Amino acid sequence: MFGLPDEFTPGFLARLEKLRIRTRQRYAGMGRGMHLSPKRGSSLEFNDFRHYSPGDDFRYIDWGLYGRSDKLYIKLFQEEEDLLTYIFVDASASMAYPAGDRKFEFAILTALALAYVALASGDRVMLRVLGGSGGRVNPSFVNGRHRIVELARRLHDLKPGGQFDFANSLATELLAIRRTGKVFIVSDFLMLLNSVTRGLGMFTAASMDLTAVQILGGRELNGQGLDGDVEVVDSESGERLRVSLGERERAQYRETMLRLTREIKSFCLKRGLHYALYTTDHDFQNFFVRAVRDLGLAH
Amino acid sequence: MGLLYPGALVFFALVPALLVAYLAKERPTRVTVSSVMAFRALRGFRRERFGGWPRLDWMFFAELLILSLAVIAMAGPFIWKQTAPLAVVIDNSAAMQAMTPAGRSRFEAARAKLDAALSAEDGGGEISVYVTAPQPRRVAPPFDSLTEARLALSRIKPCDAPNDRTTLENFLGNLASQARVAKVIFAGANALAAPIPARIHPIAVGDAVANAAIGSFTIRREVLGAEALHASLTIANFSPETRTLELAVTGDGKEIAHAREALGARETATIEFPALPPARIYEAKLAPDDAFALDNVAYATASSVKKVSILFISPTPADAQGLNSIPGVEVAARTPDSYSPADLGDFDLAIFEYAAPKEMPAVNAMLVMPPPGDPVFGLTVTPAAKVEIAGWRTADPLTDSVNFRLLNLRGGEYFGTHPWMSQVVGGDGGAIVLKGERGAHRFIATGFNPFPYLGRRNLPMSVLTLNAIGYLAGLGTASGYRTGQPWLAPAGVERVILPSGSAVAANPGTLFTAVSEQGIYELAGPGGATTPRAVNLADLAESDLSNSPPLRVEAANPASAAAPVMEKSSLADYVLGAIIALTALEALLVYRRRRRVAGAFAP
Repeated sequence: MFGLPDEFTPGFLARLEKLRIRTRQRYAGMGRGMHLSPKRGSSLEFNDFRHYSPGDDFRYIDWGLYGRSDKLYIKLFQEEEDLLTYIFVDASASMAYPAGDRKFEFAILTALALAYVALASGDRVMLRVLGGSGGRVNPSFVNGRHRIVELARRLHDLKPGGQFDFANSLATELLAIRRTGKVFIVSDFLMLLNSVTRGLGMFTAASMDLTAVQILGGRELNGQGLDGDVEVVDSESGERLRVSLGERERAQYRETMLRLTREIKSFCLKRGLHYALYTTDHDFQNFFVRAVRDLGLAH
Repeated sequence: MGLLYPGALVFFALVPALLVAYLAKERPTRVTVSSVMAFRALRGFRRERFGGWPRLDWMFFAELLILSLAVIAMAGPFIWKQTAPLAVVIDNSAAMQAMTPAGRSRFEAARAKLDAALSAEDGGGEISVYVTAPQPRRVAPPFDSLTEARLALSRIKPCDAPNDRTTLENFLGNLASQARVAKVIFAGANALAAPIPARIHPIAVGDAVANAAIGSFTIRREVLGAEALHASLTIANFSPETRTLELAVTGDGKEIAHAREALGARETATIEFPALPPARIYEAKLAPDDAFALDNVAYATASSVKKVSILFISPTPADAQGLNSIPGVEVAARTPDSYSPADLGDFDLAIFEYAAPKEMPAVNAMLVMPPPGDPVFGLTVTPAAKVEIAGWRTADPLTDSVNFRLLNLRGGEYFGTHPWMSQVVGGDGGAIVLKGERGAHRFIATGFNPFPYLGRRNLPMSVLTLNAIGYLAGLGTASGYRTGQPWLAPAGVERVILPSGSAVAANPGTLFTAVSEQGIYELAGPGGATTPRAVNLADLAESDLSNSPPLRVEAANPASAAAPVMEKSSLADYVLGAIIALTALEALLVYRRRRRVAGAFAP
């Protein structure tokens, strides 16, 4: 619809519009919005008092307090600003495998859905791609829900490929974006756990509110289709392993995969980060609506 | 169940080899995955582990089963099976073409009855189908089912050849004596004479049919040098009443002779046509039509009238040219220097003019004024400036119709008394013409030279020459060719075009056996030129459809009834079939598995 993927049906978009991004901290925005800002402003939400200074708007003089204390105090209110939302999409080669699982396709859907939630809430969105080739994503903020089509078009030509060091790449990105805000990282996180935790930890250290969205293939998670003697080749490093797979081995493999996801989730929860896991053999719309809290969203 | 070659079971020792092959066989499927992290926890190939063992999945056991089946197949498994092999013999001789009053041929009636008889069989054993003419033979390997046997029967057609009665009797006797044949069903025109062997079940379809037939059709050149040919035809009336038969002879499609003959019941007559004009192919037709059309027609060819081939050896070969003008004579001339005794193999007779052979000729020969001192014949020769005929034998084929008074002989020679040749024509100085036989060959010696042959310009000499050649050639009736009787393919013939139009390759000097059809066979040489050859049924015994004498079949054990036969039934075919099916199934499943893996993980 209007250049958006088929999954973005009118019904799904209506449901996305009812969502908004939830943060555990207040972040300064770039314009008026719906999120409380650390700045004092003109919202209805009272924040503090201060002594009246000449030139202050005497509409904000608390006359009741003046009656009790015989001093002039000015009421200060909370500022409401938009939220700077950063969405990182992992476009490394691992996102292309297994092809039948369409991991990268669902990663893009997730990123677009999150972006739409932010844009529909009046927030600014910056989409950033880690690795990949083919498409060019403008590393600047966009706002306004109509800009979702533009983002979808930019992501459309993107092809996963290449290899990158997760922690180092995120460090570079962190230096580039400068302003704090909400961060979504959409990735399969199939890399060394140490690299994942270091990368995610940098964002928490930078006072970013982070949600890690892990995308895994259904076949990938279960080792489905692998049988007998198989030489597996790592899509990024090219490392080769020769394994014999049977029912027992596949169960062992699945347990290892689940353990990897549990460790990432455990790390996120300990650090107060949001974590959501989507396996591609499940319905995408259903996942997005049901995992609202895990995704760091709210109705 | 048993094994024909139990020793083959030693190949079960190959099972360990299968394990080795299995361990070494499988090339791993290469699959690109997003990350190999989770695979690191798994152990490597089992076969690469110390003390490893093949993955005992269905594929391994399928291959083990295939190997075991292969070893069992090598051992030749069989089971004992009780069968009742059946021999079906159908008479396909010419007489079976005769139409019955029911409106179908004897052969069709026999086939229908055989079909009904086969329906009553339980089909427990193999069925062999035989035909009887020209010689008894099996039409195909034994059939396992009644349906196949019926199909084979439906494809058989009666031929134009008669049965070889003695061979057929012996054949049926042998069949009935074989332990492997439980029952013989014979359907034919001839009944079987009692006692009938117990295993033979005859089906007779030889109801009497009134028939008139041409028994033979021969053509000969009665007089050497005559253009016209003499035809003799034998006709017979095998009906119980007197019939007037009309015989028409056509030459190359044009009627050239006609005769009418009234024949009494079972009477035979010979009809002569003494002067048939020359034609390539002659066809005789007997009217009126009857139930057996085959013997109402007969063929003959002018080429069947044998030509006399002469090798003329002379220092003056030109003397032979006149002989070529004699109808039915072919001459080849050669000088004595170029002559070799082996040359005589291609000729009927030889004429030595002013020459004598160095060894006794292998053919009949005529010596014309042989030189003195000939060691082979030992003729005593006295040259004379003029030879005078003083007397001759009057009742001799050489002197027949020769007017010796008009014979004007000039120079020549007289022969002295010869040990084995007798004088036919003599003069004052001795014999002028001698003749004799030696080593089954005829020889003539003349003291004068009748050549060159001048025909009517020197009639007495020409008659004498024709008499001499006729005597040496031994002119007679050319025997025709009969259906079912093979003949030697003549030299230079590459293929034979049958009366049906199909061509059969022929090797000169070998027997040509595709002679089941009556009609004209065209013998084709390398240049495409063809020579016709007539082949006729020419068998009045076969044509006598009202009198089919019963066959006398003698079996080794005539009283023994049909007994079931225990025979080994091989299981190797089934085992091999199972091997092929298992192999195909394995290949299919392996292919599908590889494709599934490749499809799921390919980029």
